[in-house]
Amino acid sequence: MTSPSAPLPADAIEALEEASFLRDTVRAFRKNRMAMVGLAFVLLLVLGAVFAPWISPHDPYRVALDEQLLPASTTYWLGTDNFGRDVLTRILYGARISLVVGIVPSLISLMIGTMMGILSGYLGGRTDFVVMRLADMMIAFPSLLLAMVVMYTLGANLLNIFIALALVGWASVARVVRSQTLALREKEFIEAARANGTARITVMLRHIFPNVVPTLIVLFTLAIPEAIMWESSLSFLGVGVQPPEASWGLLVAKGKEYMFQAPAVAIAPGVAILLTVLAFNFIGDGLRDALDPSMKD
Amino acid sequence: MTTRTKLLLASGLASLMLMSPAFAENMLRVSYSEDPKTADVQMTTDAYTLPLNIFDRLVESETTGPGQSALVPGLAESWEVSEDGLTYTFHLRAGVKFHDGADLTADDVVYTFDRMLNPATKALNTDILTFIAGAEERLDGAADSVSGLKALDDLTVQITLTKPYAAFLALLASPGASIYDRDFTEAAGDQFGLTPETTNGTGPFILRDYTLNDSQMLEANDDYWRGRAKLDRLLVRVVSDSETLRLLFETDELDVFDLDYAPTQTPYFYGSDQWKGQVRSGPRVGIYYYAINQLKEPFGDARVRKAFQMAIDRQTILDKNFYGKGKLEDGVMPRGLACYTPAEAIEYNPAKARELLAEAGYPDGVEINLQQVSSWSTKWSDMNQIIQAQVAEAGFKANIVTTDEAAFLAARKTGEAEAYTQVWSADFNDPDNFFYTFFSESGTKVRGYNNEDPEVFAAIEEGRGMTDPAARCKLYQDLTARIVGTDAAWVPLFSLDHSYVVQPRVKNFVVPWNGWSDMSYYKVEVE
Amino acid sequence: MLMFALRRILVSIPVLIGITLILFIMLNVVPGDPVALMMKEHASADVIERVRQQMHLDDPLLTRYLSFLWDALHGDLGKSIKLNRPVTDLILKAFPNTLMLAVSAALVSWIVGIPVGILSAVRRDSFLDRFFMGFSLLGVSMPIFWSALLLQYVFAMKLRLLPVSGFYGWQYMILPAIVLGWSSAGVIARLMRSSLLEVMRLDYIRTARAKGLRETGVITRHALKNALIPVVTIMAIQVAGLLSGAVITEAIFSIPGVGRITISAISSRDMPLLQGAVLFATVLVILGNLVADILYSVLDPRIRAQMRKEA
Repeated sequence: MTSPSAPLPADAIEALEEASFLRDTVRAFRKNRMAMVGLAFVLLLVLGAVFAPWISPHDPYRVALDEQLLPASTTYWLGTDNFGRDVLTRILYGARISLVVGIVPSLISLMIGTMMGILSGYLGGRTDFVVMRLADMMIAFPSLLLAMVVMYTLGANLLNIFIALALVGWASVARVVRSQTLALREKEFIEAARANGTARITVMLRHIFPNVVPTLIVLFTLAIPEAIMWESSLSFLGVGVQPPEASWGLLVAKGKEYMFQAPAVAIAPGVAILLTVLAFNFIGDGLRDALDPSMKD
Repeated sequence: MTTRTKLLLASGLASLMLMSPAFAENMLRVSYSEDPKTADVQMTTDAYTLPLNIFDRLVESETTGPGQSALVPGLAESWEVSEDGLTYTFHLRAGVKFHDGADLTADDVVYTFDRMLNPATKALNTDILTFIAGAEERLDGAADSVSGLKALDDLTVQITLTKPYAAFLALLASPGASIYDRDFTEAAGDQFGLTPETTNGTGPFILRDYTLNDSQMLEANDDYWRGRAKLDRLLVRVVSDSETLRLLFETDELDVFDLDYAPTQTPYFYGSDQWKGQVRSGPRVGIYYYAINQLKEPFGDARVRKAFQMAIDRQTILDKNFYGKGKLEDGVMPRGLACYTPAEAIEYNPAKARELLAEAGYPDGVEINLQQVSSWSTKWSDMNQIIQAQVAEAGFKANIVTTDEAAFLAARKTGEAEAYTQVWSADFNDPDNFFYTFFSESGTKVRGYNNEDPEVFAAIEEGRGMTDPAARCKLYQDLTARIVGTDAAWVPLFSLDHSYVVQPRVKNFVVPWNGWSDMSYYKVEVE
Repeated sequence: MLMFALRRILVSIPVLIGITLILFIMLNVVPGDPVALMMKEHASADVIERVRQQMHLDDPLLTRYLSFLWDALHGDLGKSIKLNRPVTDLILKAFPNTLMLAVSAALVSWIVGIPVGILSAVRRDSFLDRFFMGFSLLGVSMPIFWSALLLQYVFAMKLRLLPVSGFYGWQYMILPAIVLGWSSAGVIARLMRSSLLEVMRLDYIRTARAKGLRETGVITRHALKNALIPVVTIMAIQVAGLLSGAVITEAIFSIPGVGRITISAISSRDMPLLQGAVLFATVLVILGNLVADILYSVLDPRIRAQMRKEA
């Protein structure tokens, strides 16, 4: 971390190190073929979701009872559902919900978890005790059940899914960040900063936080697929997103009723979940290996 | 693959702890989508299969034809009603025995109804007995017994009402009025109806096994007073999943397939050469409706309500979403209900609806909200999506609003409820069950209609006490014309058929008059 | 050793009490009248009001919490509103089914996961390794409700080899166990692989190799024993996790277990039942973690040594 004999100013060294660190990371990541495939898929999905109205000629909410459960055709690439709506279009719109649900609650739980983790690890003592017991409680709650209880209390809608998932997710982030903070605390440069009389808040923000960022990135990419999975499960069970919204879990649940007549209605959105979660997991794995080779294996 | 072999072995070990089902020859196997939770009919408002088969009532509603019923003697051999319509005297059948061998006496009847009204029971079906003199006092804890209930001798029961109520006999034929044995039921306490050991009735079947969320097994009562059932056993399985249900039926693990639990399978069974001859179908005494709140603009204006009635293409919904298995309804009473006569047809006419909207001051259309509740079945959100698309043509810009049930009920209480669609099935065969529920002074608020019409309120109260059947039916027909026609306070949609598919070995399967899934299997046979 | 276990148990107690408090508050601040919500359209307002009073719903929250806690300590989780039976009875009756599902699923995951993990580690970076690891990621990425549907469709609907759902014999357990075990097989495989790789880097393995032992011998006789430690310890956590993960599986396969109870409690808004079922699952998870910790300390000599030092 330090190179005492170099005549360069410390800032410059840091910048240089950061640049090379970034370059190494990108290079390592790009060498990971699966991660690149995952990234490409996610980018495509994001584009598809954002530009869905321009990509698809169909309206995801249009009811055409004369075109119920049509098989795949050149007009309807994956056929139609029980209301004559294009299945592929509904999946594209469903991607919007899945991506938002993947990202927003993960960000929230990441923010809470990081704050709690750094405070807990750096301050120690009573703060540490309280925060960690709180985290223990949240972790002891089986995640799906906790989320279901939150939905039961607050009611089933998208905003409450954010709250439920954030509540489920922050504790494990806090644990990881705390252990990293504990390790960082003992490092020379932190001790030096402390010895200089730097305010605790500054040490936490300027010195500890930047050093946990790589971990946070990995946690973030791994939290996204998990959140997508939870949302689809909740919606499948009927306590998540409500119709007529097109959430993937909901599409599977509804399509299930037509499993005999038109299996694609249920199976296709499931494939979308699978591929998306898989893609994010590949990216997460790739990032982890690239950012922190020691975490591999 | 070796993994698979190991897997099978592992599962084989697990099987040692499970028993495999033993299928008796003469057994009928049916299914329900939910666990009934109890056989004690006083403690449920929706699961009536066990009570209908385990207990009897003083009077029974017998199905006499598709959608038709007659009140016939049950545990009461005969009865008299006093001139003023206040006193009912029931003569019980002699020699009727409960499953545990005890004799049925008038005291058991008094006990049963008193138990329902006893606040300690926490019964849910008390509504059917509130017309009895002293019932309110008993419910409030002000009295220790019900003054209107008397055992005149061992086999004679006298029931006195506070005021004449024309539908009282029909109420006594509803499942909630099942008769229990005093000694047994008192001893069982709050465990009554929860296990075979704590259940005892006079009915054609005896509860033998009850596994929560899995199945109930009933066995024929050899000493049944109407003669032993043709079936030896009745197995009721709990199957929540519709695909599973179809597979169980097609692999001959079930004898009756209730299409209510798997409506999407309707075209398959009606179209299949193997099964179409096995479909048993009958009307259901229940009406799908759209509730509109007159306190919520623009629905305060009758022209807007009329336009809404005309903007819904009910036939298409019936045909496409319910496979055409039903009939359009234009009144408050569905077909099959006592006093039913077809009301004036509501036409589907979006152009005219648009004109009406313009007349009401909305030439460019108007925004409305359609409510749905997240915990309701997706059937309702399906209906809303279709109706949203349909009424757009008449100029209604409908938004679908989803809330949880708490918010919905709260909104109904404060008069803020949005329009919503639901179904109402007859609890007992009398028009009062529909009119009082939706358009009485209390009902119209509770249900979120807010159709403040004093004349309607008065007529509904009057109808409850009328003893002349013909005049009473006339009153309800006039009420229908006023509520649905003139005021357009109610949007009737349709009544559906209830279809079942039965295995060829099942004989004498008759769809009950009310079209319920819950029915007595006393007369069914299997080969 | 005993001290360590005791201390772990002591730490769990405040966690458990905290959980009951959070759960109680979450379930009791539900907007609206729980009784009105529970009963459907056909119950009258009078009846609703009466049941409300009988349930003491108008008592202060703290009073209700304390009496809930006190009763829970005595194994009494209250009475289900809808089922009118003691919650404890309901859960204990359903639990064996859930346990059987969880254990069968765990077996599936070990039978698949451990050999796959070992093979991957031994053939590190080979095509096989990459294939297996990709495959295990596939298992983790598949939504349970969807894979269940797919297997039902293929094996029950199309091929008619296995029963679709229900719980009447061992055949009925196969699909649910595969569905539930599948997702955690991936986790086990990855853990097994990394653990074995780590052990194989250690000195004593190098020594064994240097002594000229054959590779298979090295792995089976020396490496595997230690590499299995983390896998064994995670088993307790895993079974506890599977118990609660069984919710979706039980719903789809109509298995009358605790998960099914939880879902029906939610849909019928049966608060005491939901409270009891979630608390039960949570206690299991805490117990699982406890067992895992203690197991780990017993199995892993390094931790044992450290504990001796501390004692």
